[in-house]
Amino acid sequence: MHIHKDLKMADVIHLNHHLLPVINRFGIQLGFGDNSVEEVCQNYGLNLDFFLEILNTFHDPTYFPLANLQKFSAKMLIDYLQKTHQYYLEEKIPEIENRIQHLIEDVAFEAQHLQVLMDFFINYKNELISHINSEEERVYPYALALERKLSGKVHIDDELILSRNYSIRLYEEDHDDVESKLFDLKNIIIKYFPSPIESSRFNSILHELFELENDLNNHGHIEDLILVPIVEKMEKELAELSDKV
Amino acid sequence: MKQLRILLISDSFILREGVKTLLSLLERPYKMEECESPTFNFNRLLTKLKPNVVIAKPDMLLPYTVLPRKNDENGQIYYVGLTDDHTPTKLKSRYDFLLPIGEDKTTLLQLLESMLSSTGYLNEKPESNTLSERELTILKYIALGNTNNEIAERLFISTHTVMTHRKNITRKLGIKTVSGLTVYAILNKLIKVEELQVIKQENK
Repeated sequence: MHIHKDLKMADVIHLNHHLLPVINRFGIQLGFGDNSVEEVCQNYGLNLDFFLEILNTFHDPTYFPLANLQKFSAKMLIDYLQKTHQYYLEEKIPEIENRIQHLIEDVAFEAQHLQVLMDFFINYKNELISHINSEEERVYPYALALERKLSGKVHIDDELILSRNYSIRLYEEDHDDVESKLFDLKNIIIKYFPSPIESSRFNSILHELFELENDLNNHGHIEDLILVPIVEKMEKELAELSDKV
Repeated sequence: MKQLRILLISDSFILREGVKTLLSLLERPYKMEECESPTFNFNRLLTKLKPNVVIAKPDMLLPYTVLPRKNDENGQIYYVGLTDDHTPTKLKSRYDFLLPIGEDKTTLLQLLESMLSSTGYLNEKPESNTLSERELTILKYIALGNTNNEIAERLFISTHTVMTHRKNITRKLGIKTVSGLTVYAILNKLIKVEELQVIKQENK
């Protein structure tokens, strides 16, 4: 079932509580009363269609946003993507790191093995950070510069960014190794941790890892299905413009 | 082990969902790719998925006069046609097996199970996931940070052989990255944390 504007916001959460962090990212607070999705968006001054597309891609991994694509600005999208980055770096990753750290402190006799796990996680974290940085430093500024150029509101730096001959095609899927590491981490805990530790202590860590993975998948999905097409379209428009000149 | 890889081709949503439900009732592992468009590039899909079973609504494969019988890994490809009373006999004859969609659930399940069994992809016992002695040795070298070439030199085998072992290790353990394999090796006492630290220092 897809989420639409007339559903009550409260029912949306009952339907899928994994949407809570997504709603947070839009700045929406709990206590919706009987307000519908549309009303909540109005109250917060949000673009309803955009909100629905994001919610639905998250809610249903097979959902394919297509019809409304052109309506969204790159800026709107990138604001959202940056907020998800923030969520990983400021909430999710520290949360997991904390939990592993607590475990190390509590379970002295397994400390060495746990430390190995921690090192692996830190390793993963660093890779994720550098991946995020490369998006924020190269991909997003490029998309925003394109958009400003096309709307005639060029910033000083934009010409420089656009002159670098970057293209969204270069934005290959280098998510790969980051994804594999997260996958490995889960599997090591699930299948291979020699555990005199009460394994329920791992539940919350695993739960967090699954959530993070799910959120990252969705993040990548939105980039591939919405951001990339929008940028490709702008690249085409810009090429046509410069052909005319 | 030969993994069952299915390519499902039908423009009918209900039909696709129905086939998927049947397959899930068989409770056997398989990998599947779906295709709903009649204008798809069949050969590209074959290269990508390397299916060993293609389940299709017969009209979907009409544009393709030749149905490839071998996939990229040189395995046999079997074709299952989703037929009804109106399917022309001439079309039916292109398929190795027919699944008449009007049949009841039990019959459909029996048919599907027996045709998949005769392809040889259902009957095999699940492969053991224990690493062989050789694989354990190689895993140890990988965990200690050796490259394929270095391992090949030390063990007097070809780099290609090392790579094959690596693939098998990754498949058996479900761990893809080198650092993940290292963690596995430590947890299973194949290597000691101290050995790693020596390497780290050497690298500095």
